[in-house]
Amino acid sequence: MESQLQLQAYLDGELPEAGRREVEAWLTHDPEARALLAELRQTDAALAGADCDVKLPESREFYWSKIEREIRRREAAARPPEASTVWSWMALWRRWLVPAAALAVLTLAFVLGPVLLSGRPHELEVVLATGNSTTYRDHARGMTLVWFSFPAENRFPEDELDALLFY
Amino acid sequence: MSTQRTLLKTLAFLLVASLGLALPSRSEAADLKLEAQLIWGTNEGRSPDPKHKAVQAEIARKLKDLPFKWSHYFEVNRQRFTLSPTETKRVQMSDECEITVRQAENAQVELVLIGKGRRVGKVIQRLPRNELLVLGGNAPNFTAWFVVLRQTD
Repeated sequence: MESQLQLQAYLDGELPEAGRREVEAWLTHDPEARALLAELRQTDAALAGADCDVKLPESREFYWSKIEREIRRREAAARPPEASTVWSWMALWRRWLVPAAALAVLTLAFVLGPVLLSGRPHELEVVLATGNSTTYRDHARGMTLVWFSFPAENRFPEDELDALLFY
Repeated sequence: MSTQRTLLKTLAFLLVASLGLALPSRSEAADLKLEAQLIWGTNEGRSPDPKHKAVQAEIARKLKDLPFKWSHYFEVNRQRFTLSPTETKRVQMSDECEITVRQAENAQVELVLIGKGRRVGKVIQRLPRNELLVLGGNAPNFTAWFVVLRQTD
């Protein structure tokens, strides 16, 4: 089979120079090969008159791309309509609505956060700490608290300090 | 010529004087209306002193939000006063407690706490409208005292 194909390629002029010389050398000492080559020539001659050339109006690449597009069109048409709607909506969601939703959530958190947290104890920020007092700042409630932790480095005895500022 | 010079000098003086009168005085533009409260914090539901009043709801809410243990707050005394930019006001809050208040630089208020005639502490702090400056400390029987200073209308 392979020798027949090689002879056919030789007959069609499709062999490279080295392959053509190889076949010619083979034909010189192989009568069966010469007989097969003669038979192939006769077959070609018989078919030559029967083939009618078909001229395509477009190039081969364009022709095959048309076939590919038609295949894809038929595959798309055969897909169920619900699946395509779902997929299109999901694509829309991913592209536009997710970022918009994230932005809306951040905006709500920024606006409502202080309101929602208003009922909870606030964190006091320590802004200053000295020997006998500590200053706290509550930004959310607008309050500054200075707590005097007697007795620290104070002049007053401890038992006197407790009643110092009351009544 | 000398008459003209005299006239010009007089006009210039009058012009400067009128501008000075037209400008508002510093004290009128920057007086502060303040309110100071002496408050007692306790876990008891009632105060032993019948003169004590319930603290205003707004202040009570803010004090209760502090991470302190006291659940009840009573107003011992409340004083309202106007503070000019140049004066130091002395305000008696109780028999043993008084405060001095003055306007400090950079729109701050200086508050000095005095107990039994001795200075206990000094705070210099900005005091915007709707904000509170609260000083506090321990009082007998695990209670607490607070001095609350704020601007009023």
